[in-house]
Amino acid sequence: MALARLLFVTGKGGTGKSTVAAAVAHALSLERPTLLADLDPRLSAAAMLLGAPLSGAAPVRVAANLEVIALNARAELEAFMRRIVPVAAISRRMLKSRTFGYVTAALPGLEAFLMLERLRIMAGDAALEDRRVVVDGPASGTALELLSVARGVKGIAPAGALNRIAHSVESFLRDPERFGVILTVTPEELAIREALELAAALREHLGIATVAAVMNRVPTPLFSRAELDALKPLPAHRHLAERREHTRAAARRARRVFSHAGIRMLDLAMLYRPTMSRAEVEELGVTLAAEMPTL
Amino acid sequence: MKRLDLGAIRLAICLGPGGVGKTTISAALALGAAVSGRSVDVMTVDPAPRLLDALGLNARVSEPHDVDLRGVRAAARDGDEPDGGKTSARGRLRAMRLEPRETFDAIVRRHAPSPAAAEAIIAGRIYRSLAGAFAGVADYMAMEKLLELTAEPATEFIVLDTPPASEAIDFLDAPRRLLALLDSRAVSLLAPRPGRFSGGVVDMAARAVLAAFDRVTGLKLLGDVQAFVKNFEGMYEGFAERARRAAAMLRAESTAAIVVTTAETGRIAQAGDFIAALGRADLRVHSVIVNRTMRELPDGLEIERAKMPAALKRKLRQNLTDYAALKTREAISFDALRAAMPSGATLLLAPELDHEPRTLSDLAQIGAQIHRA
Repeated sequence: MALARLLFVTGKGGTGKSTVAAAVAHALSLERPTLLADLDPRLSAAAMLLGAPLSGAAPVRVAANLEVIALNARAELEAFMRRIVPVAAISRRMLKSRTFGYVTAALPGLEAFLMLERLRIMAGDAALEDRRVVVDGPASGTALELLSVARGVKGIAPAGALNRIAHSVESFLRDPERFGVILTVTPEELAIREALELAAALREHLGIATVAAVMNRVPTPLFSRAELDALKPLPAHRHLAERREHTRAAARRARRVFSHAGIRMLDLAMLYRPTMSRAEVEELGVTLAAEMPTL
Repeated sequence: MKRLDLGAIRLAICLGPGGVGKTTISAALALGAAVSGRSVDVMTVDPAPRLLDALGLNARVSEPHDVDLRGVRAAARDGDEPDGGKTSARGRLRAMRLEPRETFDAIVRRHAPSPAAAEAIIAGRIYRSLAGAFAGVADYMAMEKLLELTAEPATEFIVLDTPPASEAIDFLDAPRRLLALLDSRAVSLLAPRPGRFSGGVVDMAARAVLAAFDRVTGLKLLGDVQAFVKNFEGMYEGFAERARRAAAMLRAESTAAIVVTTAETGRIAQAGDFIAALGRADLRVHSVIVNRTMRELPDGLEIERAKMPAALKRKLRQNLTDYAALKTREAISFDALRAAMPSGATLLLAPELDHEPRTLSDLAQIGAQIHRA
């Protein structure tokens, strides 16, 4: 089966979502044009990692095959109004109205919902031009709320334009050719559990497929069991060596747990470097690219 | 190793990006203060299941719960704690979870003119969506709960773990934003006011806009908003008064805003944003705690002196070089953080444990090891 047109990257806070999203985007861009979309325009951490501080709504080209864009909730609302209200003067007036601002601010999920609709459109456009889209999404809890929002909208708008959009958003999210989730994890129990819970919730409640779990910061192995035992005379060094091998072992165990849950796990090696910048992200991307075709 | 001194602080608010261990640090600070003899309340938001267990809370109950401190006290007495390790049997620790929805319902019931009015609000569609999902509501409710806790004179120290807001200001600004919504002239003009002529240009324009929106979207916003605003009439003053008190409490001398972060590059940038936002909101940052910092690395000379095969020594050197690179990355983060520190604030480090914290004694250990950078 082909890899989903749009890959949505999420995971527990601190697992390196932005790094992984940027590395995945770089990996895909080695083969075809790729767009990395940042859902949090204030931070745009993924964009910064690629050396492209985003300022406006326009996409920024960071490499021949790779563009980065920041999505903005307010801009989505404005685009939506222009679409559903064909008379420009009226949609402008609605947007300018303070009442409308208050009400839409209080109407939970409307902006999040429009963001999903935007992702659906982006995936459609990308399919026409054979591009791929990678989304640097929010942390697991928020991501689940975001991806569930279409159902809520159907509840409050039983008919009309929003209801129609909610239906198309839901079928987009359920279509493994168009939408897939990449979970980021680190070799820590909590992060692994949160990823498994999120994958289960996405599958069972929303019918959303998880493409893969990316295990970030996996230490490269160095010591054998016998060597660790031989380090007894140097307890501090032994402790540091064991930490490395224990973390490595935790990542290996996680692979089995994920495979049990029907999820492929890809490793990203811990880079022992004093900086984490574009060069490192691209290095991670190259190792991911080697595993991508197997997905 | 200088410790964090919160002796003059009555309210500590832990703020920071998601996933940095705010709840862990909040619980560790509260536990430390309780063991040293203070009467402490800690309110957590969305804690990891294990921390819930450690604090004796469970997933369903949001009532305050007394944490059993006997084991931690005994360990602190036995341990060698040269500075700041004094224990006292007088202290107590109460832990509780914040339930935004329950808290909101309770507030509505308290402020509503009659029980029937309260139920009408709670059953309304706008309110149901507000209380469930509007991000500001969880923040506002944390503030409300704080007012309740500070009203108890027996409580000497309160630690608040904040919701994982994307921006500190979202949390601190919550009372004002909710009031702005309730008070907005435009919204209140929509409400049908019996006995008063409520026409006028603004009113008609706002109605027209909402009606048009409803027509194309299939929503029933006009009716819902009218009902919501009408139901809230008479409650506004109660809310406004609470919001004013919350704002004063946040800026009191005895309140400490504590920014929690980890040393990862992205998190440091976010922590810098938090610090700047707190400054703009006129709030003093008491300290910044970097959680899960690396411990001191072992001495490389030990490798050279040891009697071991050369191949193993090479691996040990490699391992040390690898972790030294990560330590350098961390030091670069500390420097960036120092540059963002507001005047008068202290930079503190909370060294990582070997495992994820899961027991009270883990929390006690984390608290005891927090020290100045």
